[in-house]
Amino acid sequence: MESENKVAIVGAGMTHCRSRWLEKTYWELSQMAVARAVNDAGIDIKEVEGGVAGIYNDIFQFMAIPESPLQGIIGLANKPLIRVSNGGATGAYSMLAAYNMVASGQYDLLLVLGAEKALDCFDFEAQSPTPAVVQTIAYSWDPWFERPLGAHASSSYAQVVLAYMDEHPGDLDPLVRAKVVELLCKQSQNNPYAQRLGERVTAKQVLDSRYVVYPIRSLETCVYTEGACALIFASPKVAKKISERNGKDPIWICGSGAANEPYFVGNNSRQFKVLHRIYSDYLATKKALKQAGIKIDDIDVIELHDAFIPQLLITLTEMGVVKRGHANDLVDKGIIMPGGRLLVNPSGGLVFGGHFVGGSNMMSTWSIMRELRDRNLRYGLVHGTGASLSNYGAVMVLER
Amino acid sequence: MLPKKGIEGKEGFDGKTYLVRNEAMFTAFRHSQGEFSQFFKALRDDARILGNRCPKCRVLICPPFQNRCPDCNFAEMQSEIMPDTGLMAASPVIVIFAPARFKADVPYGLGYAFLGKSDCALPLRVKTTTGMIRPGILEKHTLVKIVFRNKRQGEMLDIFALPQTELTLEQIQKSPLLESEISFETPREPEFGEKTQKLVFAKNRLVKQLRLLSERIKKSPRAQKDLANWRRLVKIKTAGGDFGILIDNGKLEVIEGDIFDPNLVFAIENPSKLRMDSALTNLVMEGSLWVNKSELETITRLDRLYRSLKRDSC
Repeated sequence: MESENKVAIVGAGMTHCRSRWLEKTYWELSQMAVARAVNDAGIDIKEVEGGVAGIYNDIFQFMAIPESPLQGIIGLANKPLIRVSNGGATGAYSMLAAYNMVASGQYDLLLVLGAEKALDCFDFEAQSPTPAVVQTIAYSWDPWFERPLGAHASSSYAQVVLAYMDEHPGDLDPLVRAKVVELLCKQSQNNPYAQRLGERVTAKQVLDSRYVVYPIRSLETCVYTEGACALIFASPKVAKKISERNGKDPIWICGSGAANEPYFVGNNSRQFKVLHRIYSDYLATKKALKQAGIKIDDIDVIELHDAFIPQLLITLTEMGVVKRGHANDLVDKGIIMPGGRLLVNPSGGLVFGGHFVGGSNMMSTWSIMRELRDRNLRYGLVHGTGASLSNYGAVMVLER
Repeated sequence: MLPKKGIEGKEGFDGKTYLVRNEAMFTAFRHSQGEFSQFFKALRDDARILGNRCPKCRVLICPPFQNRCPDCNFAEMQSEIMPDTGLMAASPVIVIFAPARFKADVPYGLGYAFLGKSDCALPLRVKTTTGMIRPGILEKHTLVKIVFRNKRQGEMLDIFALPQTELTLEQIQKSPLLESEISFETPREPEFGEKTQKLVFAKNRLVKQLRLLSERIKKSPRAQKDLANWRRLVKIKTAGGDFGILIDNGKLEVIEGDIFDPNLVFAIENPSKLRMDSALTNLVMEGSLWVNKSELETITRLDRLYRSLKRDSC
């Protein structure tokens, strides 16, 4: 890597992803992840100079400024801690913030933490948490124009998917999508922290599962998850010392990019959100690859924010893995299938690994680090998306 | 719904008891509509839709979500009245699983329409006069007419879009067109072909399967919960013959013979398509299962049964 402002990731720590952590609050989940990350890096938390905390939603934590009690709990008493909240892409944006803080030269060793509770919400009428969770996420839509109509996360992503299908009839074939679900389920069995460890989902089951919002079926959606992940970012000089101490190769961030599309829908991507594109993913990927000085074909493994399976396929087209309108090729030509040229979501992604929103993209980073080391690969790419109509996009290129 | 206050014990993964406290994060609002008041007042009082145009670059936005054009260094935009016809920006989505506040509305269609020559698309509910909203009724570039509710509050639900093909020329040309001026047809039951021996056999097999299902539900607490606090008498019409089911607070009963005054009518030509291990919701969306009312809750409750029975090993 040629960049002068090199930043390394020298440690990672995960909790298990669970649909409900009845036994822990987000305070202890955070502490568990940080303890594991410093242990992985072989450092003392006192060496860390500050941190970034990714927490998506105050309502899920049942507290405004939910990062404030974490300050001492995660060992950062009297040090700076910045909270990031950027919709579904909170984890990716938290890493981006930490990367910039270290790359600027102001910090040598920084903690990045992502944590989320979600299933404490409860709909007492339905006697189920799910409608309350869906409602809470729906508060992300504006209170004047969209939310009063009943818009929510699934409807918003489904709208992008339908618009893409209008533009490219026949692409995003239901069977192709179902095969991706089956693949991710199998891959997640190699992730010891995965929420759906032990599950077996077949393509047929996916096709038989009911629509939650047409055209998205229930087995094509990510899960609601509670959990935490922590990462340790370091400057080159500190990374070198840590590497000598713990004997592990640092993983380098060699490119980053981010873009958020405008909120309102319209006929050009300069002023509006164009429905059939996830233009933010296109822009973020292009920028990250340019900074890394590589092409998408150089990437060995991608951990992609798969809020919904058809969105995963659209994002891969925006990244340039295949042309827009040719997403079916990813499966039909075996590109992302076992033995194919690109490994996608070996952790099972957010559909099978888990989606604890503030830290899901950090779980993706943990997974890329593991894959680069275990499979002796060179380049990995971490992606985060979020907000209404998948408007936020953030990408990081990692190198071993 | 606000919960009763209370603290109870729940068993964790480790077998120990952890406390959960019933609570609500409850904040009431007198929520300012601010600069959007003019737009919402025009909807409510004049049955008109306003947009904003930049005098410099001529961009036209509806809804008028900003009063200055950032592309022209924040030049003041000017309000103008929009036409009440337009084009769908894309095929609309159909919401089946809704946020808690909108559960009673499902299924509902959500989409975006470019009114007149607007550069920006207006988010709105989309409807049909032909019964339940289904895929294919509205698509990208479908011509739509905005319909105003008779009683309006000054909010986005004061209007909805209908495909122009479902309206007369007079209705399309009338502005404003009120909901009371639309004929929402009495849904017509589909007509079936000949009652063959094969279809009668399939219907009898379906009745037998549903009786078995009824017995399995009795042994499954999860399945009983799926049907809890719900009562519906459903007439099921097939080309192989008719019968009924009664869902009554956690139970499901099969009724043969005439069904009088049902709450719902399901109609499906081939009874063998009605399988409890695949999603009935999908049959409704794909058009092979017809329901006489725009109510999906009975269907979605039935869809949950198969998984619940599996989880309870019944």
